[in-house]
Amino acid sequence: MSLASAPVLDLAGLTVTYPGPPPVRAVDDLDLRLAPGRCLGVLGESGSGKTSLAKALLGLLPEARVEGRLRLAGRDLAGLDEAGWQAVRWRRLALVPQSTASLHPALSIGAQIAEPLRVHEGLARGEASARAAAALEDVGLGAAALERTPEELSGGQRRLALLAMALVLDPEVVVLDEPTAGLDLLSRARVLALLGRIRAAGTALLLITHDLDALRGLADDVAVLYRGWLAERGPAARVLDDPRAPFTWGLANAVPTLGDVKDLRGIRGAPPEPGEVVQGCPFLERCTQAVAACEQRRPPLVAPEGEDGARLVACARGGRVPVLRARGLAKAYRPRRGGRRRGEVAAVDDVSLEVGEGEAVGLVGPTGAGKSTLGQLLVRLVEPDAGSVELEGRDLLAARGADLAALRRRAQLLFQDPYEALSPRLSVAEAVREPLDVAGVGTPAERDAEVAGVLAEVRLPSSPAFAERRAHELSGGQLQRVALARALVLRPKLLVADESVAMLDPSEQTKLLALLRDLQVERGMAMVVVSHDLAVVLRVADRVVVLDEGRIVEEATGAELLAAPQHPLTAELLAAAGRPGALLGERSLARQAR
Amino acid sequence: MSAHPTDAAAPEGGLRALWASPTARVGLGLLGAVALLALLGPLLLAHGPRELVAAPLAPPSAGLPLGANAVGQDLAAQLAAGARTSLAVALLAGAGTVALGGTIGLAAGWFGGTVEAATMRVVDLALVVPRLPLLVLVGAYLGPSTPLIAATISLVFWPGTARIVRAQTRSLRTRAHVRASRGFGAGARHVMRRHLLPELALVLAAALVAAASRAVLLEAGLAFLGLGDPTGASWGRTLRDAIEFSGLFYTPAWQWWLLPPTLAISALLIGLTLTGVGLEGGSNPRTSRHRPGATP
Amino acid sequence: MAERRRPAVSAALSGLTLAALVVLVFALPRALPGDPLAALDDPTSGVAITDPELRERVLAHYGLDQPLPEQFAGYVGGLATGDLGWSIARNAPVSGLVAAHLPWTLLLMGPALLLSTAASYVLGILAAWHRGRTGDRVALVGLTALRAIPEYVLATLLLIAFAVLLPVLPVGGARTPFAEHGSGLAALADVGAHLVLPLATLTLSLTATLFLLQRHTVVAVLGADHMLLAEAKGLPLRRRQFVHAGRSALLPLLTAVGLQVAFAAQGAVFVEAVFAYPGMGSLLLEAVAARDYPVLEGAFLVLALVVLAVNLLVDLAARWVDPRSAAS
Ligand SMILES: Nc1ncnc2c1ncn2[C@@H]1O[C@H](COP(=O)(O)OP(=O)(O)OP(=O)(O)O)[C@@H](O)[C@H]1O
Ligand code: SF4
Ligand SMILES: [Mg+2]
Repeated sequence: MSLASAPVLDLAGLTVTYPGPPPVRAVDDLDLRLAPGRCLGVLGESGSGKTSLAKALLGLLPEARVEGRLRLAGRDLAGLDEAGWQAVRWRRLALVPQSTASLHPALSIGAQIAEPLRVHEGLARGEASARAAAALEDVGLGAAALERTPEELSGGQRRLALLAMALVLDPEVVVLDEPTAGLDLLSRARVLALLGRIRAAGTALLLITHDLDALRGLADDVAVLYRGWLAERGPAARVLDDPRAPFTWGLANAVPTLGDVKDLRGIRGAPPEPGEVVQGCPFLERCTQAVAACEQRRPPLVAPEGEDGARLVACARGGRVPVLRARGLAKAYRPRRGGRRRGEVAAVDDVSLEVGEGEAVGLVGPTGAGKSTLGQLLVRLVEPDAGSVELEGRDLLAARGADLAALRRRAQLLFQDPYEALSPRLSVAEAVREPLDVAGVGTPAERDAEVAGVLAEVRLPSSPAFAERRAHELSGGQLQRVALARALVLRPKLLVADESVAMLDPSEQTKLLALLRDLQVERGMAMVVVSHDLAVVLRVADRVVVLDEGRIVEEATGAELLAAPQHPLTAELLAAAGRPGALLGERSLARQAR
Repeated sequence: MSAHPTDAAAPEGGLRALWASPTARVGLGLLGAVALLALLGPLLLAHGPRELVAAPLAPPSAGLPLGANAVGQDLAAQLAAGARTSLAVALLAGAGTVALGGTIGLAAGWFGGTVEAATMRVVDLALVVPRLPLLVLVGAYLGPSTPLIAATISLVFWPGTARIVRAQTRSLRTRAHVRASRGFGAGARHVMRRHLLPELALVLAAALVAAASRAVLLEAGLAFLGLGDPTGASWGRTLRDAIEFSGLFYTPAWQWWLLPPTLAISALLIGLTLTGVGLEGGSNPRTSRHRPGATP
Repeated sequence: MAERRRPAVSAALSGLTLAALVVLVFALPRALPGDPLAALDDPTSGVAITDPELRERVLAHYGLDQPLPEQFAGYVGGLATGDLGWSIARNAPVSGLVAAHLPWTLLLMGPALLLSTAASYVLGILAAWHRGRTGDRVALVGLTALRAIPEYVLATLLLIAFAVLLPVLPVGGARTPFAEHGSGLAALADVGAHLVLPLATLTLSLTATLFLLQRHTVVAVLGADHMLLAEAKGLPLRRRQFVHAGRSALLPLLTAVGLQVAFAAQGAVFVEAVFAYPGMGSLLLEAVAARDYPVLEGAFLVLALVVLAVNLLVDLAARWVDPRSAAS
């Protein structure tokens, strides 16, 4: 947040309670600050209290109890009477409402836009009308709309008219509730440009939206609401590009942005019922990394470890936890025979990699780049020459004995070739049960139940007949699923998939990728997807790491990679992934979004 | 029509619900009072409404609780006889309207198709007929009598009832349990008796009350215009006689001549209206975001 | 917004009603058993006509010696040229009688419609705004009761209250009989004083229905999104009530006014009867008493015509108010 100027809008402990029954806390203990000429984005699911917040700011919630501090340019709004509010509304604090039915159906657009000018500034009809026309021109609607009624405008045009209305008195703060919803790309771009201009002119914007791209372009800070409660708040770039609160992370994955090529993922489950009173973290039931501490009390807003405090996250675990943290990994292979040293090959050379809760990292590179070696290093199937691997905060390389066995269960590798991974002598059930038998988990009956469950999870038939089949009796896709079930049966937190779809036909590939995505949402697993095919990786990965000759040459999100590949190798891989035309189209779209 | 019969809306349930509404209770109380007047009047009063029994404009006394009119007739007897006329017209015209409109509406809603289309055209046409002129002209040409007035009122008002009943029948027919019982082979008669009529009971009751109150209004109105049954008594007629008596207001007689029928008509009509409001479940406009006291 | 019935519908309806009335008036006497004019010959019937010249005129009016279609054509043709028939009781053309009585009825009906529309508009908004409060409940119960009772009962009650108990207004008539007024202004004041009670009765009667509707419409409008925006715009209360909420309710109200016009005419007839006001109601009343059929029929036809005309006016007003028709 800017320290340079005093906030024009200052909320502390703002709480909005609808009397119910049951009482609904739509906004819960909210602290926000907005400085002149800045834009604060508010992000949240449907029903998270965004509109309630907007209404509370303008004193429009007579039916609810509004508590906490609410200051406009240093003056308290909380105790205002009707006349006081009328002096504040529109002249100082204007609203672009969410609903396009907010325009009066029987009055002309011009009359409605001119109305505040006439009432608040006492302008004569003609003058007010001229200003209204100018305001309509500004939003790109044209003065022709002046004489129309809302019924004669499209939904998008009505939104523009509402925007013109909000700006007509040049207020200090404009609260915008979903201003870009329902707009075509061109009008949307125009609206965003207009908002940028008025922000530059010193107006403060409170931008409530689902539109992540709009926030990226416009917002200085972003606040993320979950059930009326602040889950994360901080500079837009950090919150949106590197979300820390598990909810923000889930939201960012669920919201389509223009730059996205990755498949969308939802957040598992649904928020608690509006009236429900929650003791601990409200996100608890949907969070894949919840621990006992989350249930005890509501997590306070704190800066994540190693940050300067500009961004605050409300999470008992300090935000999304890294599942895997590898530093300076190196591995060289030397030819066994002959002992000639000059044949030594550095397969992996000083590679550091972090994978967070619920995150999928793609590992791409040409043949021999060291992808598979790195994958095996991550799960300690190969011992590194140097470097460290931490799995859920514990040192994988230092672990011994039972500790090591327990840690190994948390990280599983899915091989490229399921034929090799599965013994032809074992039945499906036996193969999947094997890890459980080895780990000695539960009673035999519990293990069988677990096996049936995981087979269902990977969408395989759980009939006894199928469970009795052997490897050679299965199709490639089925076989790979069995291998996946086997990897998942121990409920690992990290899954390294090494070219796991490469041997499947395209239709099976698609199905398996979708399956991996769903499993990730449900289980919150971290995934490392190793592939030489960038097209596959871009579908599932949140972040892509490009490896060449054992070193990382580029690391970026899929969208960034597509828009502007930095390394020549990346460009080559992109070209090899095919569909250059399609990619070009997507790239220009992504550019436009910036 | 906001009457929304629930599945348990057997007539008794409906009546109990009706009694639970304070509005309806006041209404039923007023109706009861008028009914008592009609029933007990002839038993307690010594004279008939047309007998000349007292001095003109005689003030109220022991034998004449409401005094006498300009020709010396017992006004209390006229009030009681007027109550009987009003209630008779209310019942006859109400029953006629509901019988006619209910049957036609039920048939239209039940059979649908051509029957429905044809009936509804007739309804549309019938709604256009000017009611008061028709009644006045019929009364003038045919010579008015209470049954004729009741019959004409039924003929004029059945279309409204038919519309409501048709709409309700149609929506009931498509409801799951009705379709289900047809599905397991129940005949039309069974479905009508078990499912339709019980649910239509409240609607028909409301229609009955509405028709009755319009009948009372029109009967008194026609009598007031001088088109009442010349041999019977009517509040409207007493009222007209009083108003037409020049110099009424120079005597105190208006207090016992003019006021009682005025109040009686008001009581009966308000009673019917309140009962009707109670039957329709009370006026309950959907309350919205805006609450009372939201803004000063 | 829910279904918005155009006032044009009520104008069309009243046009149809007029047509139905023409047919009715034509058909009713002819459909009755026996010679409908038999009563004219029966010296005991009370409407027997002894004057042969008058008898000629009445028979010509009914034209019973011609075939039905020609009778009808002649009848409608006569109506079109303003020939409403010949009064039996007064031995005068019906149109002349109507011309003498109609202005008084218009003087009653027109202002009553205007006043009740304005009063319902304002009261309906205020009651809806403060719904559930004492004032609203009183208005709701009071006007529901008022709606139940007939105009002549209300007229009688007002007459007793303001002309008898509190004798501030005249008991009846349209003018003080035989009074010499010093100036035109005094004469006008006299007419005004006589108008107050009939007008109040009719206005109250109409307001009862219109108020309930207006209140209902406005209650539904209050929760609309545009009402919230009006508040957000910092508009003063009165503006939100009467411009924003009221504007949405105006068209439904006008539609209802259109449907009320016929009741206003009917109400005027009864109110005039109570106050001996010399309008169409009094004419009708005398015609009923004298069984003066041509006057009865002519008066009804003219009243139906008035209803149609007022409906067209309301329709024009609604067109002007309706944004959709304004734009096209
Ligand atoms: N008038 C009300 N009475 C009771 N509860 C309400 C009321 N208005 C909203 N709520 C509840 O408050 C919560 C927040 O609602 P709000 O409209 O602020 O959400 P939102 O974030 O704007 O959602 P959306 O993105 O769908 O617009 C929801 O649980 C909603 O059900
Ligand atoms: S880790 Fe705990 S506190 Fe953090 S979001 Fe998940 S449930 Fe809430
Ligand atoms: Mg919202």
